[in-house]
Amino acid sequence: MNPGVGSADPGTATAVLPAAAALEPAAGLRRGWRRVLRRPASVVGGVIVIVFVALALGAPWIVRTDPTATDWSQIRKAPSVAHPFGTDDLGRDMLARVVWGSRVSMQAGVFSILLAIAVGVPLGLVAGYYRGALDQVVMRLTDAWLAFPFLILAIGLVTIMGPSLTNATIAIGLGATPTYIRLTRGLVLATAAEDYVQGARALGARDLRLMARHILPNIFSSLLVQATVAIPIAIIAEAVLSFLGLGVQPPTPSWGTMLNAAQQFLESAPWMAWWPGLAIFVLTLSFNVAGDGLRDLLDPKDY
Amino acid sequence: MVEFLIRRAAISIVTLIVISVVVFTGVRMIPGDPARVMAGTDADAAGLEEIRAKYGLNDPIPVQYVRWAALALQGDFGRSIRTRDPVSTTVARKLPITIELACLSVLIALAIAIPAGVLAAVRRNTAWDLLASGASLCGVSVPNFWLGIMLILFFSVRLGWLPASGFVPFWESPLANVQRMVMPAFVLGTALAAVLMRQTRNSMINVLGADYIRTAYSKGLAGRAVIFRHAIRNSLIPVVTILGLQAGALMSGAVVTEQIFVVPGFGRLIVEAVFTRDYPLVQGVVLITASSYVLINLLVDLSYSLLDPRIRIGGRP
Repeated sequence: MNPGVGSADPGTATAVLPAAAALEPAAGLRRGWRRVLRRPASVVGGVIVIVFVALALGAPWIVRTDPTATDWSQIRKAPSVAHPFGTDDLGRDMLARVVWGSRVSMQAGVFSILLAIAVGVPLGLVAGYYRGALDQVVMRLTDAWLAFPFLILAIGLVTIMGPSLTNATIAIGLGATPTYIRLTRGLVLATAAEDYVQGARALGARDLRLMARHILPNIFSSLLVQATVAIPIAIIAEAVLSFLGLGVQPPTPSWGTMLNAAQQFLESAPWMAWWPGLAIFVLTLSFNVAGDGLRDLLDPKDY
Repeated sequence: MVEFLIRRAAISIVTLIVISVVVFTGVRMIPGDPARVMAGTDADAAGLEEIRAKYGLNDPIPVQYVRWAALALQGDFGRSIRTRDPVSTTVARKLPITIELACLSVLIALAIAIPAGVLAAVRRNTAWDLLASGASLCGVSVPNFWLGIMLILFFSVRLGWLPASGFVPFWESPLANVQRMVMPAFVLGTALAAVLMRQTRNSMINVLGADYIRTAYSKGLAGRAVIFRHAIRNSLIPVVTILGLQAGALMSGAVVTEQIFVVPGFGRLIVEAVFTRDYPLVQGVVLITASSYVLINLLVDLSYSLLDPRIRIGGRP
């Protein structure tokens, strides 16, 4: 990560003080670290997010129990040594299912936001850069897009495309896209007016080069901060869609479907509801806390 | 001001037209044949054709759109395919339930958020502030459907204090109504409270640094009077805007909350309509949702410039 991105002081400082500028990356890194360490909660949040990423990637090696293996002699058993999180209504190990569930949540959370960035950033960039009629069209479509409450849009899209993890991810991604269009456009409007962009234009840089080399790197940190806000929302949205039966289909373990199943056995097997929800809660909380720290570190002026 | 009003209203109308086209074509893309749903599984080809002809399902899509939009403007959204009831009366029956739920949750959210936000701002960087910020972070992070399940687990299953689900109209039994609404309203209000608290704290901190607050202090007013008479009132303006912007989140939240607590409101209606492929009902419900969201935001924009004359758009002082 380049700590200079957020606070890039373009052009002038480098020209006047070449020696100081050469020292800047290391000093910036140190300063950044000190700023991060001043927020221990964010460090803890970041570590927990990394642990969840590791769980998602390493699920097959971390839990030996098959998360889809049913065992009729072990139906709805309370947490024990053999099954630390208990078992569900089909005798499946809850621990294994929660660990495997992190894979679905991470996948949905990260890929949906990547999709939103891939669609939203270019649209916002073009709208904010060229302005005029194109901007009007893009923004009116964005307004209409935003008028559908996020979840209702996602439910509608999944209904059209059919329930599955991929479709839920696409639906959530498209639901998050207008926010990215708006954010990018706003940032581009502010950045394009900066002297260094005008300077590069005066030197003969073309539109594409201006956008890719001068504008995009300078709005990158704000987009990244938005992603740390958006990913936990997307993770919850996937859980909700799966909970409603519109996301991941059984027997694939997902925290949302597990909670759906748990609802019928609240009296006899409450642990079925504890763990998947706790996992969502801890993961989104960690994302939010870590995101606060990242925002502090990158310190974009908009937040 | 008038110019701004017209411009803002025109944009809203364009948005509404785009929405209606999107909803109409979107619903047409849902897989499944509505004629078959209406006729049942044992209908023959002639029976299906009759239903298609009767409901105009064979006409070109643009023709169907114009016919539908013209009727929708008059408040006629067609009839539910499943129950044959007019969509408008179905919505009129369900909507008050969700509005009651939403109002209760906004009240709960405000009752938590404003005192907590003001306290956090006044006692900035103390344990109170930390506690409030921590609670706010937890509030936005907790998945509301899990919170709902946990509340049912604790208050209904474990303690037996509140009924886990269902709905009783207020006029039949106010007590039973509130008993069944308090948990869903709290669940729906949690995330809102978290967002509003953060906003109240921020704007309160801004206001407390303003010149007129210093003036109020320097003319000898007591701290309490400054905070209650001057600071809170002015810091609530941005909170109103956030409340409007959160209307969409509230509608999304209602879908899930009503599902968990089996509240027969608007949110549950959406899910039911989607699962039963009830075209006209889905269309009507989604259109009404999106339109009301556009209107709420229009009103918020207008109220914003009315509440605070400094921000009258168009840059006039």
